[in-house]
Formats: sequence, C-alpha cells, structure tokens
Amino acid sequence: MVVLVILAAVPVFAHHAFASEFDANKPVKFKGTVTKMEWINPHAWIHVNVKKPDGTVEEWMIEAGTPNTLLRRGFTKQSLLPGTEVVVDGYQSKDGSLRANGRDITLPNGQTLFLGNAVPDAPYQDKSK
Amino acid sequence: MSHRLWISTGVLAIAIAAAVPSIITGQAPAPAAKRTAAANKKSAVPHTPWGDPDLQGVWNDATSTPLQRPTTIGQKDVLSTENEAEGFEEQLANDLNRDRRDGGAEVDVNRAYNEHWMDSRRLKITADRRTSLIVDPPDGRIPPLVPLSPERQKIRADQAASAARFNAGLPLYAQDFSLPVRCIIRTDSPPYLPTIYNNDFQIFQGPGYVTIVPEMIHSPRIIPLDGRPHIGKNLKQWLGDTRGHFEGETLVIETTNFRTDPGVVYQGANPATYKITERFTRVDADTINYEFTVEDPMTWTKPWTARIPWTKIDPKEQQYEYACHEDNYDIVHLLSGARLREKKGEVK
Amino acid sequence: MRMRFGATTIGLIAAAVAVIICLAVLPGVGQQARNTNPFPAYRPPRMADGHPDLNGIWQALVFSANWDLQDHDAQPGPRPEIMGAYGAGPAGQSIVEGGEIPYKPEALAKKKANFEKRMTVDVSDDKKWHATGDPELKCYMPGVPRATYMPFPFQIVQGSSPYILMAYEFTSATRTIRMNSTQESPTDSWMGWSRGRWEGDTLVVDVTGLREETWFDRAGDYHSDALHVVERYTPVSPYHMMYEATIEDPNVYTRPWKISFPLYRRMEKNVQLLEFKCVPFTEDMLYGRFRKQSSN
Repeated sequence: MVVLVILAAVPVFAHHAFASEFDANKPVKFKGTVTKMEWINPHAWIHVNVKKPDGTVEEWMIEAGTPNTLLRRGFTKQSLLPGTEVVVDGYQSKDGSLRANGRDITLPNGQTLFLGNAVPDAPYQDKSK
Repeated sequence: MSHRLWISTGVLAIAIAAAVPSIITGQAPAPAAKRTAAANKKSAVPHTPWGDPDLQGVWNDATSTPLQRPTTIGQKDVLSTENEAEGFEEQLANDLNRDRRDGGAEVDVNRAYNEHWMDSRRLKITADRRTSLIVDPPDGRIPPLVPLSPERQKIRADQAASAARFNAGLPLYAQDFSLPVRCIIRTDSPPYLPTIYNNDFQIFQGPGYVTIVPEMIHSPRIIPLDGRPHIGKNLKQWLGDTRGHFEGETLVIETTNFRTDPGVVYQGANPATYKITERFTRVDADTINYEFTVEDPMTWTKPWTARIPWTKIDPKEQQYEYACHEDNYDIVHLLSGARLREKKGEVK
Repeated sequence: MRMRFGATTIGLIAAAVAVIICLAVLPGVGQQARNTNPFPAYRPPRMADGHPDLNGIWQALVFSANWDLQDHDAQPGPRPEIMGAYGAGPAGQSIVEGGEIPYKPEALAKKKANFEKRMTVDVSDDKKWHATGDPELKCYMPGVPRATYMPFPFQIVQGSSPYILMAYEFTSATRTIRMNSTQESPTDSWMGWSRGRWEGDTLVVDVTGLREETWFDRAGDYHSDALHVVERYTPVSPYHMMYEATIEDPNVYTRPWKISFPLYRRMEKNVQLLEFKCVPFTEDMLYGRFRKQSSN
C-alpha cells in the first residue's frame, strides 16, 4: 500500500488543536447521567453527572463537535435528553478541571451516540459507514 | 351645457383619476436585464428571471483531494483508472478518519471526537479524480516562496511562536490565538477551502448582486455587479471588498482592501501586493466549479490556481446558524487553564 | 322597461366617480385625521414571482430605540466620567404601540436587574457567561427585532430561490427567511428561525427559536425562551418600508405587544454595507482578566 504524503485541503490555521486543551496523559472513561446538552457553536457541550464510589457527584462537561452536523442528519435538541446514561471515553483538561473531550460517547449498551441519522429518510447519509 | 361636453368632462375626469396613482407611484431603481431571454434559453445553465446565471442554492465543497499533489504520486494530475482512484481515495479516507484509535494518546487527543461529527463527504475525492485541487502550476503544488524581507520573516516567526504557545495550552492573552479561534474569521475568509465540517455555502442572488454566505462564521460577501469602484483604499476589511461581473456564464470576482493583520490574507502573503480572483461556473444542475487564483510577487514566484467542485446539497439539508464568539467557552478554558497551571508551578 | 340615462346624467355620474377616485388616492384630502398610514397608496415594483421587490439597503432612524424601546430622556450613558457626551444616549419616543411594554409585575424586577448590570461582564464561569451584561456590549448577535433598529444598515437580498437573506452590518449577522416553510426550529439560535410568507404586498416573517439571552435594548428589556416574534415588512413608497413586529412571550408579558416604525432606503450613490466586526473591540473587556501578567 502506497503511503501518501498527505497535504490535506484543511486550511493552515489551527481550528482547534485539542491537544492544546486536553491532556494525552490524562485519559478518562466513566459512566454518567446527562443533565444538559448545549447545542451551541463552536462546540456542543454535554453536561454529565458522575457518581463516585463514595457517593459524591462530580459535574463534568464534555466537549463535542459542531451541532450543525447533527442537525443536518435530522437530530434536534430533543435527541439527547437529561436523564440519559452515557459512557464517556476521552482526555481530561490539562488544568485538571472536570472537563474532557468526548473522544467516544456511547450509550451503556455500546451504541454510539448520534451515529447514523435521526430519521431514516434524513438526506445526509453518513458515507463513511 | 351640451350633453356632449358633460360626457367628455366626465370621461376626462375618470382618465385623470386613473392616471393619478401611477404619477404618485415612483419607481425604485430597476435592474437592467443583461441577456435576452432567447440567449438564456440556448444555454444549458439555468438563469434567474433577471438574466444572470443561476448560482442560487446551498452548496457543499468537502473533499479529501488535497490542495497540493502528494509527492509520491509523481506528476500524475488525474488518476486514469477506477482502481487507482479507489486506492488513492481509500488511503486518504483512512488517514483522515477520526474513528481510528491507533498512533498513541498524543495523536488520539487531536482526533478530538468521532467521525460522525465531521462531514463525511470530506472522505471522497473529487469526481474528476484529480490528485490535487491546485491545477496551476501543472505540478499541482504551491509555487516556491520568494526570499522574504526581515520584517516578513519576523511576522511569520511571531505567528509560529503564537501557534507553539497555543499547542502547549499556554496562550498569553486572547489576541495570541489565531483569528479562527478568536471567532473573527473562519471559512468565510477567501479563498474558500474545504474543511472538516460545515462545508456549506449558501448563494443568494438579487438583481445586480450575488451574495455568498459561508456557514462559518455567517459573514456574507455581498457582491455588486454594477461595475462600481471598490471602496477607498484607506478602508480595510477582514474579508476585503469584492466586486463581480459575469463573463459568459462565469461569475468573476475580485477582492481588495484587506486588513493587514497577520492571518487575513492567505498563508502570510503581503497584503499590499496580494491579489485574489475567484470564479464560479455552474457546470450542471448539481455542480459549481469554484476556482481561485492567488498571486503575490512578494511571496510566491508565480500565481497559482486551484479548482474545487461545489455540489448542491439536498434541499432538506440546510445551512444552519454558526454563532461562534457568542459561546466561545474554549477561549476562557485555555486562558484560565494556562494561568492556573502557571500558578500551580506546573509550567512557566 | 329599458333604462335610459340622459347625457347629463352620465356626465354627472362620471364626474362623481372621478372625484371619488381622486379622493381615494390623493394624500390627506378628507382623510388626514383618521389615516394611520401617512403614505399614499403604493404599488411596489415586483419580482418575477409577482411579489414586491424588497431588495436594497435599509436602515431605521429610530435607533434611539436601541437605547430604550419606551419613552426616554437623553441620558449620560454608562461611565460618563470617561465617555462624556460620546457615551451619552439621545432622547426617544416609544416605538411600542400604546407606549408601554406590558410586563408582568414580577417580570419587571429582572428588567431592572438587567439594566443595573448591563456593563457587568463575567465569563469566568461557563454557567454564568450570559447571566449579566448587555449582549450588544459583548458583540453578540442582537436577535430579532433588535437587529432591525440598531444604528447600522442591513441589506435584503431577494431572488428566485425559496430563501430571502437579511444581512446586518452589526457583527456581520445574517438570517435566512425560509419562504413558505413549515419546518420547526431544530434548536435555538441568536438570530432565530425565520419562516416567511406573503400577505398581499406584506412580507410576514414568523420568528421562533430565539436564544433567550438576547435583549431588546440597552435598558434591559428582555424575554424568555418562549419568545415568538411576527414581523411585517410593507413597502409604502420607493424609499420607505413600514416595519411592524408583534412580540409574544407569556412568561414575561401579560399580552402580546407591538412595535412599529418606518425603514428608510439608503440612497447614497454606491452605498454598501461595510464591516462592523466588533469581536476585537470586546476581547480585552471579556478576557483581559486572564492575560498573563508578565506579558506586554
């Protein structure tokens, strides 16, 4: 297989290099309950309450992508409601605050959140799958 | 009075009364139709009712075809076989795919989040199977740089230093971030290049105007077609000032009056000598060819041109608002995070 | 029996009809006291689809409403000890029909708090980003209807697609009017979700899905996420458009209320929208507290 030197069409500016904010040495993986999802740009934020073994609750903020991509696939602000249990796999903020990027967000049964289309006849087909 | 005079007076009065409304109704500026209906009918390109080529709609420009031809592909500008094209596309898609978890944690952090948050159309090469978006020079690569003055070198060095601080998560202040991170300009700054998501542009037309609205960050380029001069040379704008005209079926636009802040004109070019010309040609019902030529004798040895196809998207898909500065939490996270880490002695 | 009208009768009837027609179209004659529309009847130029052509650059002259929608005296503005007359606001007459915004009594307290804290900016806590401070101050998109009466022009681009664009000079804000659409807003946005239709020569725009953080003016007039705005744009001369907005929010007001004022066509030769990208004007205010102290 030829290894191509890819000079991608992505523009030179750093949109947002996640490594600037999140720490490769601080991977996190936990289960929590969604309390709120902010459908905002430049990044959506999913607020998750995580119950620790000692019974206390930590409030985490998970950084995700642009909601506009989801809207075009038929998802709306009703698509992730408070009370939903999710598993978050990501990297914690460099400054140690309760923030992580949502590298992979799944439901407890392993199904990835927001994969596919919200409605079967939504026009935008995820061609990568 | 004779009966005839009565009738004439009454009829005359009615005639005057009927004319009064149109005397009072002025005419707002009316556009001149540039083409005859007959000429428009002959062309395969649809036209607006006032005679301009119709570019209206929402268009997507995502592609994996790189701006510059990969060195390993040699001089091949177009892939000749299906197999070749598939292999090329597959390799690109694999490299770009965000669901990969290989490469270690450092690489993984920068993949940010899953592929489905991205525009999956960016994993496809252009329909014409070119190996680069650049079509001129023929080698598909940005021409070499001319030697830069010490001042220009310093600007580049300063930008590189800012970028290094950003990557380390240690920005000095808000203005130390790049213009996109500050939410001043993003895809809306010409030339329009494909990116990882929200690759859509909505084109609106009215008599005498073409207006292009990229999704990020919602700023329109409202382009007059009436031949008026550019704004005065002392006026400078982040997106410059654009004027356009149609050459046959192609919209040709020229943009001047760019601000001189680093990051405004493409790739650190010299604002005073930088020139950008863009062309939009509707080639079929679903495609606009977008072409841009960039030149700056103080930066590149010669001008260079790229062509990117824009595909009409399903009307059910739409362009949505992309507010940026309004909820730009990241700026605060990055700045306050840096200050906290400095305070804790973790970094200098 | 055949009716026969003599020539004289025909002439008299014709003249009477003519007088009636003239009275109907000539301004003011016999109608001054009752007429709420000061403009004579106007038939605007049309687009190919038969609807009025609203293309052009428009601006409100009631921009004092951006300081305060209701009756207000001239005021020193915030920080007069620095800003003097530069920062002062002009007097203005209410653009609210009936004069006053019908707040629920308990909702007035929040307006007062908004005004008192209109210059208080604190983005240190994500949860409190929007808790205080006029969004205009922070260069956030102003929402609807505030964008219409800010002291900046806006441009309408209307063509032959199902969308009309309204582009505002203030922070390059844009909104798309989706003509004859039944689609509901999928999420809230700063400039709202606009669906338009024609009623005769009036463009009616139904706006929902507005971010609750926008204000109507610098006086702290606000709304909740239940805000529903219906705008009406009616060309009344080659140079004027009448604008009306009905504002409804059962969480905050006792009933719907209306604002109205003319929009004026900008007539300067080669007039165009310029840029007012105000983000750089706000960065020190918003983020200055996080600056590294040893940096210059």
